[in-house]
Amino acid sequence: MTRTLWRDHHWQLIHTAPQAPALHMALDEVLTQEVGAGHRPPTLRVWEWGAPAVVIGRFQSLRNEVDAEAARRHGIEVVRRVSGGGAMFIEPGNTITYSIYAPLSLIKGMSFQEAYAWMDAWTLEALGQLGIKAWYQPLNDITSEGGKIAGAAQAHRGGAVLHHVTMAYDIDATKMLDVLRIGREKLSDKGTRSAAKRVDPLRSQTGLPREVIIARMIETFRTLHGLTDDQLRPSELADAEALAQQKFATAEWTADVP
Amino acid sequence: MHGEYKMPGGKLIVIDLAVRDGCLADVQLSGDFFLEPDAALHAIDAALEGQRVDADEHMLAGAVRAQLAPGVMMYGISPEAIAVAVRRAIDQGTDA
Repeated sequence: MTRTLWRDHHWQLIHTAPQAPALHMALDEVLTQEVGAGHRPPTLRVWEWGAPAVVIGRFQSLRNEVDAEAARRHGIEVVRRVSGGGAMFIEPGNTITYSIYAPLSLIKGMSFQEAYAWMDAWTLEALGQLGIKAWYQPLNDITSEGGKIAGAAQAHRGGAVLHHVTMAYDIDATKMLDVLRIGREKLSDKGTRSAAKRVDPLRSQTGLPREVIIARMIETFRTLHGLTDDQLRPSELADAEALAQQKFATAEWTADVP
Repeated sequence: MHGEYKMPGGKLIVIDLAVRDGCLADVQLSGDFFLEPDAALHAIDAALEGQRVDADEHMLAGAVRAQLAPGVMMYGISPEAIAVAVRRAIDQGTDA
């Protein structure tokens, strides 16, 4: 396998109507497999959230991370994703989330640290055009002088890399801290004392509507790497709906690390 | 019992465990680190299961490393950092 460049691929864009949290988890698994198998060209998928959710990382303990009673009280679904990393608190309209599905050749020979920064170079460019001086904060954060903007995670599956990112557009920090358990040890080397202070959302930094930021980001990707508008294939959606039901919406998977 | 360790420049590593007959039992590693493939998580738990409660960090890290299949990739976590979290759980652990 030789190293490939962004422009060696015919990038496809998927940006659909809002979908359920478990379906998003399943789409990431299905589309990573499809790209790895060569059934689909490399793809950028922009998510729209159909419901509030807490998305925990593949290796996080459900009970250590989430106050289940508070999540129920707020009507927030808890799902586990396929990649590592930390918990995300999602409310529709409050985050910008995207996934990139690419052959492993795109990051061949790179360290994890290099691969994360490489996959999000276009995002930093887009943020710069929006007037935000942002940079990669290893291991997996995008940050600016105001604070953390986004968190990224990668997973490797069958010849493909899944790289997905959630950016804070707006945030109800009180509700987030009600639902997520964020301990002091985690913040011990971050130089801040509260999780809420760590996040500086895009809304306050840009003053722009979320849809405008997403449109600008897509245009930046298109300009840098090329991008063709695409749709989910019926078979991909059917596979993902089945996988959501059989895996990602089940208590067994969500509590895989209890 | 519960121990946490934020690996410097890395991620949060959490260990929950019990001690039975002087040995570690029901060991569960968790945290916001990255592991490829994901099945390595349960291999690490299995490597720590049954280790003696007086095992030092060096021995615990060695037990984890010996159990890892070739090609397992770790990001934000290491056998040494796991060992620190295990010792913290044993030495200062409160019931989670």
